[in-house]
Amino acid sequence: MLDTLVFVTVLLPFLVAAVLLVLREQNLRKVILVATAGVLILSSLAMLRGGAFIMSPAPLWGSLVTLGDFLILGVVLLVGLKRKNQIIVWLTVAQIVGLIWFDFFMIKDHGSTPAFFADDLSLVMVLVVSIVGSLIAVYGIGYMKEHEEHLHLTTSKQPQFFFFIVLFLGAMNGLVLANNMLWMYFFWECTTLCSFMLIGHDDTEIARKNAERALWMNVLGGTAFLFGVMLLYKVTGSLSLQDILARGPEFAVAGGAILVPMFLLVFAGMTKAAQAPFQSWLTGAMVAPTPVSALLHSSTMVKAGVYIIVRLAPIYAGTYFSNFVALFGGFVFLATACLAAGQSNGKKILAYSTISNLALIIACAGINTPAAITAAILLILFHAISKALMFLCVGAIEQKIGSRDIEDMRGLFARMPRTALVAVIGILTMMLPPFGMLMAKWMAIESAHGQFLLMIMLALGSGVTVLFWCRWAGLMLATPFAKAAPEAQDGTIRGPLYLLAGLAVVLSFFSPLVYNGLVAPVVAMYYKTAPYVLRFGNFESSTGVFLVYPLFILLGLGFFFALRQTRKITAAQAVGPYMCGEQTSVDGKPGFLGPLGQNVTAVSGNYYLEQFFGEAMLSKWINVIALAVLVIMLFGGAL
Amino acid sequence: MTKILLAVLALVAAPILGALITGVDRRITAWLQSRYGPPILQPLYDVLKLLGKQPMLVNTWQALCAYVYLVGAALSVVLLFTGSDLLLIFFVLTIGAVFLVMGALASPSPYSQIGGQRELLQMLAYEPLLILVFASIAMLTGSFKVSAVFELSRPMLYDLPLMFIVLGYALTIKLRKSPFDISASAHAHQELVRGVYTEYSGPYLAMIEIAHWYEVILVLGICALFWSTSFVGMIVLVALTYLAEIIVDNVTARLTWRVMLKSAVGMGLVLTVVNMLWLYAQ
Repeated sequence: MLDTLVFVTVLLPFLVAAVLLVLREQNLRKVILVATAGVLILSSLAMLRGGAFIMSPAPLWGSLVTLGDFLILGVVLLVGLKRKNQIIVWLTVAQIVGLIWFDFFMIKDHGSTPAFFADDLSLVMVLVVSIVGSLIAVYGIGYMKEHEEHLHLTTSKQPQFFFFIVLFLGAMNGLVLANNMLWMYFFWECTTLCSFMLIGHDDTEIARKNAERALWMNVLGGTAFLFGVMLLYKVTGSLSLQDILARGPEFAVAGGAILVPMFLLVFAGMTKAAQAPFQSWLTGAMVAPTPVSALLHSSTMVKAGVYIIVRLAPIYAGTYFSNFVALFGGFVFLATACLAAGQSNGKKILAYSTISNLALIIACAGINTPAAITAAILLILFHAISKALMFLCVGAIEQKIGSRDIEDMRGLFARMPRTALVAVIGILTMMLPPFGMLMAKWMAIESAHGQFLLMIMLALGSGVTVLFWCRWAGLMLATPFAKAAPEAQDGTIRGPLYLLAGLAVVLSFFSPLVYNGLVAPVVAMYYKTAPYVLRFGNFESSTGVFLVYPLFILLGLGFFFALRQTRKITAAQAVGPYMCGEQTSVDGKPGFLGPLGQNVTAVSGNYYLEQFFGEAMLSKWINVIALAVLVIMLFGGAL
Repeated sequence: MTKILLAVLALVAAPILGALITGVDRRITAWLQSRYGPPILQPLYDVLKLLGKQPMLVNTWQALCAYVYLVGAALSVVLLFTGSDLLLIFFVLTIGAVFLVMGALASPSPYSQIGGQRELLQMLAYEPLLILVFASIAMLTGSFKVSAVFELSRPMLYDLPLMFIVLGYALTIKLRKSPFDISASAHAHQELVRGVYTEYSGPYLAMIEIAHWYEVILVLGICALFWSTSFVGMIVLVALTYLAEIIVDNVTARLTWRVMLKSAVGMGLVLTVVNMLWLYAQ
């Protein structure tokens, strides 16, 4: 049973991907994708029921992984040579040499390390990858059809596209289930390659440039990862993640030696999670078709980065290094939230908000208390759902209105009532209680209360976050009183939107169960204590209390009552917007009667506070400071 | 059981008390401006009249937003009175504030739009200040629970005097009192009309007023926490604070949002850091 489940979640996507690559029949592709999504979702749920496990597949697979390593490195090297990118070439050469040395000369006991292991953290990650990722893949069917019609392609590039999308899911599942650090390295490199291919999918000038940037940054991370694993092996004599985690505290106490590999691995995680100064690869990735952005930002890629940081957190708990990780996370959280506030490009807002939330997760890992780790895991889960939802909404909106600028989404409700509503729900689940994201943020801030500098950054950052979400939600609703025209949408697009919106709300409602079943056990396993006591489903600790059900019930009742009242409003009670008594309407657009009896259409725009939050002004300083913190982290914390 | 009683008490008494405070506010303001001023119950009369009016709306979202604003504000007061978590109260308060702005932005009227945008800037200015105040309280008591404040043996004002100033700053912004009546103010301004309130009318404006009373009580309640050891002390502290607010409101002219943002964040950070260092030194 277990063998089958691991096979289905990890290897099946690889096989399906291969089939999709050669298959050119549209409808069959659709069937295969939906079926794979269903199988992945079911098997991830079954795996969750089964609980923790350790597994070693036949030794043959180990050799295949080694072969795969060199294959991927070879491909990356070829890309580097073709693009004449020195950084990629030299970093890849370093990895190849390092890997040969490591594989054939350093490691004595090949095959004795179990390849896979899962605890609740891995299982949560598998759920996120398999459910959110699969829904995005399904959404991709409808999206790519429209996308290619728009581009007037003569031959469809969808086989390649879905090859890498599905491969990505398998690689992510493999990464989060890997116990053998070399296996994890293989999957890590897989995700790097997949993201490179997907970002460059449209093969435009800018797509190629941004894909190349993503590649060199992630190859840098990959190099850090490999050398981190080598040093880790040198210090601990083991490649087994589970074994290292179990013995972690003794290494940390014994001396700083383990902190150098920890720094390298955490650094690798930060590049993958697009933290400053590497944020530009993720913001550049938005040139790819929307399902790619959704996948990179929510369930895969960047989540691999924070996964490794959270995963290793128990090992570096209580060290100076950990404090620096927290400070780094806090700083990037604030800085990228400010960058998001200065943007009007919807996808860019989402990108910076992703980086900001990932930084919060990293800050939680750095705070490294049971409550903070709980916050980190819950953030990974809830952020994946809400952020995937937001990206899919923006993708659907962009295909309809031809713009991703939020200024062009004014009054969207009149044109796309369902999508606009789903987007508003997505935004609310990102920023307001009683939803899961905010509960996790509450945990994060409360667990930071001993470290005042961090606290200040989190406080400022949350203020800025509310600013950019709130205005986006508000302006989509700016419509005159009228019944919105029904909206036509492909089922493969609408289905994932509704499912994700439902999931975001329902899962928040059951967050006490999620905590009890999935988060508390794993936190207790590594930190010996559970951070919160659940009383009537309310989170309680000595530092605070979060009321889940009372809030849900009272706010839900209020909301329900309000909705019922608004239903009663008739067109007779509708008035035009206030224009100082001079209102007119031209072609249904509200305006006012200006000088000389001219009709002037009312136009308004958001404040983007360029002088505070402008990208051109902030980015340079943010990169310098982030780099400085990284250097201090290495020399002050790890060495 | 006592908690439920307290919750009901907060739900019923808070708006009435808020209305009275607003009434007194208007009388004192009138006195400062050498006017006679309206009766103290005038805010209550206004709201009762508004409630009886026929609803008029640009779109249905505004009605929804008005309701949710009211629910959020009332809920945050209930949470404060039942001794819940300060940070949670803050987040619930944010729900109301967010919906107020969303309602304003849901109308294409330029006055409402500019009011909504400016209200967001006001939120950007006061939210970090409030979190900093709460974090400082948590530093002192070791917990974010309101109930922990009441276990202190001496008033917080002794240990966190500068944080009280920060709170006062946040209070002025939150209550949209001059010099920070940027997104809306008690009286109409030429370029703004009623800003964030412009498009709310009739019963929905009444709801917004009631929600505002809840918020007045909430921020004054948080002020009261700084003298948690005696009931009389609380009343005196709150009365003095509010009086100071009224005087500031009357002697200052409105500032621009740039000045507000820079001064709020700058002053808030400096005072917080100094106060925390002082707390460490003790």
